[in-house]
Amino acid sequence: MINEVEYVVKINSEIKSMLKIVEDLGENVQVALENGRKGMKDAAFEASVEIQHREEEVTDLCVGSLIRYQPFASDLRSVTVALKVAYDLSRICRYLYNITEVLEEFDVNGCDVSDVSALLKDARSMVSLSLQAYFTKDRSLASDVIKRDNSIDERYRMVLSTQRKSSSEKGDCILLNGLSARIIERMADHACYISNETAYLVTGRRRSYR
Amino acid sequence: MTNDSVKLDILKLDAWFGDKQALKGISLRIKPKTVTAVIGPSGCGKSTFIRCINRMHELTPGNKVAGTILLDGADIYNDMDSMDVRRKVGMVFQKPNPFPNMSIADNVVAGLKLIDAADKKELEEMAKENLKAVGLWKEVENDLKKSGASLSGGQQQRLCIARALAMRPEIILMDEPTSALDPASTAKIEELVKALKTETTVIIITHNVQQAARISDMTAFFYLGELIEYDETRSIFESPKSPLTERYITGRFG
Repeated sequence: MINEVEYVVKINSEIKSMLKIVEDLGENVQVALENGRKGMKDAAFEASVEIQHREEEVTDLCVGSLIRYQPFASDLRSVTVALKVAYDLSRICRYLYNITEVLEEFDVNGCDVSDVSALLKDARSMVSLSLQAYFTKDRSLASDVIKRDNSIDERYRMVLSTQRKSSSEKGDCILLNGLSARIIERMADHACYISNETAYLVTGRRRSYR
Repeated sequence: MTNDSVKLDILKLDAWFGDKQALKGISLRIKPKTVTAVIGPSGCGKSTFIRCINRMHELTPGNKVAGTILLDGADIYNDMDSMDVRRKVGMVFQKPNPFPNMSIADNVVAGLKLIDAADKKELEEMAKENLKAVGLWKEVENDLKKSGASLSGGQQQRLCIARALAMRPEIILMDEPTSALDPASTAKIEELVKALKTETTVIIITHNVQQAARISDMTAFFYLGELIEYDETRSIFESPKSPLTERYITGRFG
């Protein structure tokens, strides 16, 4: 693309800002989950609104670059992938907001959240690494992130199984753990989507699911 | 690709201008009723390539061709007369070239007059039919006796396409047919090219890679007389296999 500086750099700058919002919110949600802290919902909502604006900004920049330069090949892929990465980050932010909703909804005092807390930590790490792979076009790192999804899925099912069998936990704790685990599992899926897009960006080939 | 689905089978095609080799071992197969775009930087052999397909290259003294071009299985250099080849393989040039001393209607049927003994009524009907096919009829139906040169550039180019179509070609070669036209005329020609493939096989040279992406099913990228990549247009423009193709279509050279 002739004017790569004008568009690709701007697009990636917006995506970096989105990642910062997600990482900061993720850290706060982690602390809130581990300490059963309430009162984060409004801040998380504001973050998700902010990230939505930035996603729209990325969309505008991508559409602008398509109109102006009609890019092809790796230039075209960089635009289409940026659109998807921005969307995935927006969804991840929304999932973090959903966790604060769950924390707000239930009485979480005395709940054992160690499993979901560890799950959240891993999912956050997958998000950060998926973006690192995207920015550096590191296919190998993207592939590592995708491999980690199986472990997240397995541990999500274990949380459900543990909660289902639990006789000592109160209802609120079971719901907190079950709902949070499901939300976190979806977060990790979106980190994988970003990694899949990175692989496509680098190779030009999409992963076959058949 | 089975033999039935091959309109044009080009095997190890070489071409020279005197001692200078312009095409080097080009092999590709073109399916019937498709649009194939030929792209590449100036001097890469695109025009030479299509001029070999209708045996125009050999018209210049000193030019040579080697290799095989099969049209529906028939070798166009050994099994066919050059006039037969040119009748089956029509050509539209970069600059519209209507015959200035002929009326619009006569321009359309000029080729037919040379080879067919059709009567006046039949020729009028053929002129109308082919002007309709290129979307020009409504614009010129009251001016059929006017000179072809009186039309705008875009109309002249469509007139030339009508003239080529009147010969009922099986293949139409187009050498940058829109490079001298405004955006509206270009859009009309592009629509026409897409419509033509229901009946005909089209091979079009273009310097406009966006145009190649818009109108073609297959794309061939040439560089320094060699065929670098030939694939479905979507693959070429989304994920080219050759780094040279990638660099060319992203505007990094050429």
